Amino acid sequence: MDAGETLRLGARAIRAHKLRSALTVLGILIGIAAVVTFVTFGASLQADVVGQIEETSASNVYLVASEDGDGFGGAGQPVFTEADLTTFRGIEGVRRVVPRGILAVTAISHRGDTVARTRATATTPDAFASTTFVAGDSFELGREEVVLNRRAATLFATNATVGDTVTLTLGGGRTRNLTVVGIIEGSAGQVPFDAFGSQPRVFVPTDPLYDTVVESPSTGANQRVYPQVTVVADPAQTTAVRERVERALPGTDAAALVPEGYQLVAQTSGDLADQVEEIVTRLTRFVTGIAVIALIVGAVGIANIMLVSVTERTREIGIMKAVGARNREVMGLFLTEAVLLGLLGAALGVPVGILGGWAAAAYAEIPLTLAPGWFAVAVVVGIVVGALAGLYPAWRAARVDPIEALRYE
Amino acid sequence: MTDRADAVARPGDAVVVADLVRRYQRGIDTVEALRGISLSLPEGSYTAVMGPSGSGKSTLLNLVGGLDTPTGGSVAVGGTELSTLSEPERARVRGEEVGFVFQTFNLMPRLSAAENVAFPLVFRGVGRAERMDRARELLADVDLADRTDHRPNELSGGQRQRVAIARALVGDPTLVLADEPTGNVDTETGDRVMSVLGAVNDAGNTLLLVTHERHVAERADRIVHLRDGAIQRIEDVTDAGRDSGSTDGDEPDARDDSEARRRGGD
Repeated sequence: MDAGETLRLGARAIRAHKLRSALTVLGILIGIAAVVTFVTFGASLQADVVGQIEETSASNVYLVASEDGDGFGGAGQPVFTEADLTTFRGIEGVRRVVPRGILAVTAISHRGDTVARTRATATTPDAFASTTFVAGDSFELGREEVVLNRRAATLFATNATVGDTVTLTLGGGRTRNLTVVGIIEGSAGQVPFDAFGSQPRVFVPTDPLYDTVVESPSTGANQRVYPQVTVVADPAQTTAVRERVERALPGTDAAALVPEGYQLVAQTSGDLADQVEEIVTRLTRFVTGIAVIALIVGAVGIANIMLVSVTERTREIGIMKAVGARNREVMGLFLTEAVLLGLLGAALGVPVGILGGWAAAAYAEIPLTLAPGWFAVAVVVGIVVGALAGLYPAWRAARVDPIEALRYE
Repeated sequence: MTDRADAVARPGDAVVVADLVRRYQRGIDTVEALRGISLSLPEGSYTAVMGPSGSGKSTLLNLVGGLDTPTGGSVAVGGTELSTLSEPERARVRGEEVGFVFQTFNLMPRLSAAENVAFPLVFRGVGRAERMDRARELLADVDLADRTDHRPNELSGGQRQRVAIARALVGDPTLVLADEPTGNVDTETGDRVMSVLGAVNDAGNTLLLVTHERHVAERADRIVHLRDGAIQRIEDVTDAGRDSGSTDGDEPDARDDSEARRRGGD
């Protein structure tokens, strides 16, 4: 029996029950569409985030003391002293060294409107070296000044502008009045990609506001100590700089101060991109796994409808056998029908899924990135799901006793 | 149909049945449907099988048609021994050596008359165009040239049975099996169906007919009377006896389970 005729008979059987077939196809469609939506969204997220890392901070080496050596995302322990910063500045190929400390802030007030905040970032003007200011400019060390990002500036009843005064309430109820000197977009490289920079951020000069100090093991004097340091390298030798920094680490105060179970980590943006990629991939896989459940439900639908179909068409199976159909041809016919249902669901599910991915990306305000390889996978999955779901019903059909079947009404 | 005479012109017997036994297990009982039947159907012969319900008529037909396998004995159709064949080989015999005509027509409901006639050729790998040409030819032979694109539900009972007869002939079979072909049509239509089958036989096809109507059986060359799974007698039909029109005196009212179920399902 040729493939064309098998397909024709299968298509005809599907068309004979339009609503039933449509609902069965819908089951697969939803499953495939869900998978494609999440895969597309995952691909878009990954492309956006990784793209930002590589574009905005390709030459950064991030230093933290991290608990599991994994580095990225951990708050880290304050271990890098002023003496260490000097050490890093002396390394060949280093352009800037930017420390970042965390200042506990209980509230920020602007013109009588108070907003609860948990932290501000204490850093140096170098942090803004590659940042575009929306208004004003960087603060200077030693002054009672503050830089806000746009989200932070709009937290208050009236938007904070350059020249305004904001009041920080620090731990212990002490307050500091600071002059707003600049407004920026994003996070000023605090995190290496700006997607997460849409949170409100408050930047203050380390001097005079940051007061986390430790006795430097190398100098014996009390010095400010920071949990995170960004070494901005000459873009041509980022990897080399990372290696030099790593070689220098054992001799630093940080190495002496790092607590048990913590590790000093130097990572480039590329490392971070890899990590982010892995996290996004893992997340995408997890969500896609959930979507696969929808696909399994769809497969159960196909199996169910095919079993009904085999029972309904017992007599037809008898006729087929009486006119010379072999068992495997009967099986092939029903399997073809199941595969057609799966294929139809997949073929319709992919565009619906792309639409879903586009909607999700639009909602998350990231550009759409398609993953065409996955569309082919989705169609193959549709075929495989149809075949698997149709296997048992088709086997049942092949086993029908023609004598009984021809009497069947 | 005269052009088909040479296609079936093989020497000897079309069907040879020897000591054929078929037992069924029904629950704890063993039902002996056939108790050792021997019978030959010469090429081009026309044989009717009569007998009361449960006499084994249908079992014999199913065994000769390769739908069933015997418990003992042998069945040879066109020289091929069926009892030892595997499933796909038996399917091939059903498609190539045998043509079935059923009481309930058994046409594929979603296929047109021509597609139904052509259907057996699908499983023999004949191309669509060639199949359909052959089907239209055969439909013309049974006076249905104007019904080729009709679905079975758009045809009358007699027309459906003629489509079924055309389908039985499409594969140039060694043997045409007809199981109560007039059982579901009125007398007049039944006569028409039997005329078509008569023409099929006249064209040289070997015909084996199962019926419980005496006047239908009398169209055959001979009548095999079955009772309790054995041949009671074989009656040669003379031309003089063909018009007697009486019903079969052997047919009792009592029917066994399988027969009642079959009827109930029709």
